[in-house]
Amino acid sequence: MTARGPSYLIKRLLLHAFLLGLGLLFILPFFWSIGTSLKPLRELFSVTPAFLPEMVRWENYVDVFDQVPFTTFYLNTIFVTIARVIGQVFIASLAGFAFARLRFPGRDLLFILLLVGLMVPEQAVIVPRFILMREFGWINTYQGLIIPLIFSSFGVFLLRQFFLTIPPDFQEAATLEGANPFQVYWQIYLPLARPALAAFGFLVTLYSWNEFLWALIVTSTQERQVLSVGLAVLQGYQTTNTAILLAAANMATIPILVIFLFFQKQLIEGISLSGLK
Amino acid sequence: MMSLEHPVSATLTPRPRVEGERAAPRWNARRRTAVWGFLLIAPMMIGYTLFFVLPFIASFLLSFTNWTLLSAPVWVGLDNYARLLRDTSFQESLQNTVALTVPNVVLRITISLFIALALNTKLKFRNFYRTLFFIPVLTMPVATATVWQWLYDPTYGPINAGLATFGIDGPSWLLQPEWTVVALLVVLLWGGVGYDMIIYLAGLQGIPRDYYEAAQLDGAGFWRQFRDITVPLLTPTIFFLLIIALINSFQVFDLVYIMTRIDTSGTTFPTLVYYIYEEGFRNFRMGYAVTLSWALLAILIVFTVVQFRLQRRWVHYE
Repeated sequence: MTARGPSYLIKRLLLHAFLLGLGLLFILPFFWSIGTSLKPLRELFSVTPAFLPEMVRWENYVDVFDQVPFTTFYLNTIFVTIARVIGQVFIASLAGFAFARLRFPGRDLLFILLLVGLMVPEQAVIVPRFILMREFGWINTYQGLIIPLIFSSFGVFLLRQFFLTIPPDFQEAATLEGANPFQVYWQIYLPLARPALAAFGFLVTLYSWNEFLWALIVTSTQERQVLSVGLAVLQGYQTTNTAILLAAANMATIPILVIFLFFQKQLIEGISLSGLK
Repeated sequence: MMSLEHPVSATLTPRPRVEGERAAPRWNARRRTAVWGFLLIAPMMIGYTLFFVLPFIASFLLSFTNWTLLSAPVWVGLDNYARLLRDTSFQESLQNTVALTVPNVVLRITISLFIALALNTKLKFRNFYRTLFFIPVLTMPVATATVWQWLYDPTYGPINAGLATFGIDGPSWLLQPEWTVVALLVVLLWGGVGYDMIIYLAGLQGIPRDYYEAAQLDGAGFWRQFRDITVPLLTPTIFFLLIIALINSFQVFDLVYIMTRIDTSGTTFPTLVYYIYEEGFRNFRMGYAVTLSWALLAILIVFTVVQFRLQRRWVHYE
């Protein structure tokens, strides 16, 4: 660390230039999207498009709500996401705990059966799953949106790994005190697993908020549609005024983006954990 | 499947602890734990069976039928599979998917490695740069596609306007399949590189500093260190990312649906999952859609197995 000559400085400078240049390319689309969403219609059709609007038209954002029930899409997305997160975290942590810390016949075999689910993409079972929803009468319902997506092999796997790092001494002590396994899970393991649960919860939130294909298939009216589908619907209506379309796209992403940037650390932890398969 | 016939109510009532209770038969305690084990995994196993295993089996059976949802399924034997082999639309969707997947996988894991390497230094604004690359990972793909569709607009979009300042006449990105591949590839990379970067950074943290220090003492420069330390020790990470990128790009749907559809008549660039969607939920040919799903699955399995076989040659586990 002594020889910090000019070549060191040049290297640093090049590194900054590389990261800044490439990094700006990564967020440029967001700036374009915000700038364009505020343009009045006539400014959209310029062969030399400007970054910022000459005349800012905030009404584009209001117009979105006139064209589609955007509030409903928002509330549906929030509700469905919260339900999926609670469901996934609870169900996966229960099973993860049992697979990590309880002995029962067939445990390893059942766990391997679950792991198969990690390898198979959702799309491969989407058609029969849709047929099942039809049999249940769950098409265009909240339960149809939520329930099929709350059973996560990945979550069981991730949380089992985490529970295995918690020393079994706690469990043994609590069992001697007369606690049953559910109490051990609820009072000891869940609180200790808070960082892992948060990381997993954030991943599920992100996935759920952005999910499109299942919501597209299982919903048929606007009362039950979520933001991703709503945006696609709006795209079908709104073929000329791109500013309104981009205003909707921004409203669907930017709030959650800001929230997620606050929790970046947990989210990155979660993603890093997911790479440790 | 779940052996829940033993009443568990007895275990739910807390009992005062009596001295000498430890002498109670261990077998009973074990059995109680086992019942609890089954109880706790029950929600997951039931849901998994219902929404995953069952559809899986059903899809196998359905692939031997013709079914339009309107009437009862008709057994057609291997007709769907025979059709699959002759189906030029299937071949086209497969070609498109592969044309998108191969460069996506290669470029994604390469570009993100260099970004991660640059970020794995004691650099100022490190976290700021990381955030820049990470933001697209958080964005809803449908919204991303909406924005990029506008960026690619042949007449009024900024990309072609930018090209025009260099005197280049930009193509109709999303109408000509040969340019659509490029256009979609850029969006996929834009949205995927940040994820790989995070995984790489975690992997790089795991490489002991001493290795580099020892190499520096031996006079090894950046490229030698990169080739002889970084890459070999990262091979498990690279392997993981390879599998993930492969599976992800085989599943591309949102981007295609938003960016390449011409009104409601179809797309200029059908991918495999898009074709499944179209057959199943537009044409309501459930039997054939399910057969296509099996083709997708078979291809992914073959790729994954080949990857796992090849990994023995190049992946080093410590």
